[in-house]
Amino acid sequence: MNELKKLSVPYLLESADLNRDDIKIVFDKADFFMQNYKRGEKFSDLKGITVAMAFFEPSTRTKLSFDIAAKRLSADSISFASSTSSITKGESLIDTLHTIEAMGVEMYVVRHKNSGVPKFLQENTKGVILNAGDGKHAHPTQALLDSFTLYKHFGAVKGLKVCIVGDIMHSRVARSNIDMLKTLEADVKLCGPGTLLPRNINVWDCDIIENINDAIEWADVILVLRLQRERMESGILPSIEEFNRFYGVSLEQFSKKQDLVLMHPGPVNYGIELDYRIAPNKNCLIQTQVTHGVFIRMALLSLLGSDL
Amino acid sequence: MNIYFQNIRAINSIQNLDTHLNIWVKDGIIAHCSKDTPTLDIDTRIIDASSMIASPGFIDLHVHLREPGADNKETIQSGLDAASNGGFTSVVCMPNTSPDIDDVTVVEYINSKAKGFLTDVLISAAITKQRTGKSITNMLSLNEAGVVMFTDDGVAVSNSEVMKLAFDYAAPQDLLLAQHCEDHSLTKGFTMNESALSYKLGLKGYPTIAEEIILSRDIMLAEYCGNRRYHAQHISTKGAVDLIRSAKAKGLRVSCEVTPHHFSLSEELLASYDSCYKMNPPLRRDQDIEAIIEGLADGTIDCIATDHAPHSLHEKFVELENAPNGIIGLETAIGVSLTHLVHSGKISINKFIDLFTVNPRNIIGKEQVLIDSGLNANLTIFDLNEEWTVDKTKMKSKSTNTPYHNHKLIGKQKFVFNNNQMIECSL
Repeated sequence: MNELKKLSVPYLLESADLNRDDIKIVFDKADFFMQNYKRGEKFSDLKGITVAMAFFEPSTRTKLSFDIAAKRLSADSISFASSTSSITKGESLIDTLHTIEAMGVEMYVVRHKNSGVPKFLQENTKGVILNAGDGKHAHPTQALLDSFTLYKHFGAVKGLKVCIVGDIMHSRVARSNIDMLKTLEADVKLCGPGTLLPRNINVWDCDIIENINDAIEWADVILVLRLQRERMESGILPSIEEFNRFYGVSLEQFSKKQDLVLMHPGPVNYGIELDYRIAPNKNCLIQTQVTHGVFIRMALLSLLGSDL
Repeated sequence: MNIYFQNIRAINSIQNLDTHLNIWVKDGIIAHCSKDTPTLDIDTRIIDASSMIASPGFIDLHVHLREPGADNKETIQSGLDAASNGGFTSVVCMPNTSPDIDDVTVVEYINSKAKGFLTDVLISAAITKQRTGKSITNMLSLNEAGVVMFTDDGVAVSNSEVMKLAFDYAAPQDLLLAQHCEDHSLTKGFTMNESALSYKLGLKGYPTIAEEIILSRDIMLAEYCGNRRYHAQHISTKGAVDLIRSAKAKGLRVSCEVTPHHFSLSEELLASYDSCYKMNPPLRRDQDIEAIIEGLADGTIDCIATDHAPHSLHEKFVELENAPNGIIGLETAIGVSLTHLVHSGKISINKFIDLFTVNPRNIIGKEQVLIDSGLNANLTIFDLNEEWTVDKTKMKSKSTNTPYHNHKLIGKQKFVFNNNQMIECSL
């Protein structure tokens, strides 16, 4: 593969940072790592570079995935969790960033509960920021690995009918996937209850499908989102039962269409948005997404770290 | 002080004054004010003022001086320095201090600290004790102590019964009630206007109806309680402008103010996630800006007020969602308003001056300021056409949380006179 290919941006804050060519470059690179990775061997792409895993919000899979990706590229990866940091002593976010920066860290993988934090940090550092999820705003590496999974499964993303189901309103995964799938010219529709998907403001310029049966009938792919239990506590939804009945995916519904593909960013609430009996199905790509996640993150770290 | 403005355009609508004059200010008095040329003292400073305008001193009905309680953000002294540097000879300070201005002792404290400055401080007091919306303050005593308006600014009086009681209690003395119109049940955790953009940015929105619901309730209450005096603070939506317009058409004694940022900046700026664009009410959409400018032009909107809200850098320079609401505005109000209203051809210079002088003084029932020889000089003098670039480091405010840093503006305050003092504005 052509090693000279570069992304059009020196960071990754949201899906819209990447154009079609950029996405192709990332996919090719991820493919390369997937084909060439051997157990016990490491690539030297990030040798000598220190990558900070700056997770200001709890995360398991994304943090592990980035950490493994960085290590496979020979980076020095340091972890940073807000619960054990000086943030809890009242240090401001920017001071924390500058402290880590003064120690020679050049790349930052950032997860934060507030929307816009990666952008805020990127504007105040010379280092490279990779957004690992910010508030309700964006989770671009998730969108990349989702599209990569579709690309590997179908051979192309263009023209695929993808319906995103569930809590669109509070989901950074939904936002990033909508942008990326549109860049890749998939046909995207949305399905979710009225309080979790604003109908009066046509925000995402996507058609809305009113219930899960119609969604399944229309789609090649359903991307099911995690429903946070807080939604019930805050009164945005009346009950889990009703959500499950109208927007949850049952095995019976899923089995109606043989080639239907299901994805979910995890962690899954079985019994709420998804019937646990779906999990072993070969067209349920949840574990594949996780596996692809590491290669996508290796690709990004390698591409964004190449000029450091 | 001994300064002579040669060939300056003097404007004051209540005197039917709009003509070029020679104005000589000496020892705090307008020593000369006519087309004639006086015999000046040998040490009189002479200014060629042919591009300048002299108007009654500007007044700002909405300023957070932060003292007592938050002198890391602003003090009465720094706030009044900013006010005079911004061209204002009077400001009305808001009651969300610590302690709140809900008691005569706090009024007396502020009055004692605000003596001896060029800019006069007028005081607004809370409608409810500690601004908690539960029980009304000693409004009669506060009125006796010189308070010019009542508001719980920062929050709205949410409970309709309490607001009705306030209107009724204020009725015999015909006191002025003002409201920060916000239905708080609709705005919890907001960062910006609710719109397609807020959903895209993943930021909790403040719907326009949250402002309009409280405003329409208040207009109904003011009418029901016997056509009471009511002032809507910093309105920001098209719907609010429409509500005020129809209330005025019905003959209600309703007035309102807008801030310069609500007619010069739009919600699109929030895409930067920069906290210098975060305030309450939030920046709105283009159609709201158009409606506000239309309301200013047709007289629906009575005055421009800054909602000067200083915050320290360390408080503002954080995650956008965690940053406090508010921006400073005293020192950019004239430049921003001239640029976006007068030089853009939306309103006349005469209307512009009324929005900062005659109209706000009428709202609070303050005696009008006249420009004539023999009177104390209470004047704002500005250059209509001077082009300048905003530099926040030159401001007198203790805080620098302005969205206008590096903006190019046309029109700038130059000299301010009041209380036998003069300052030459430096920005």
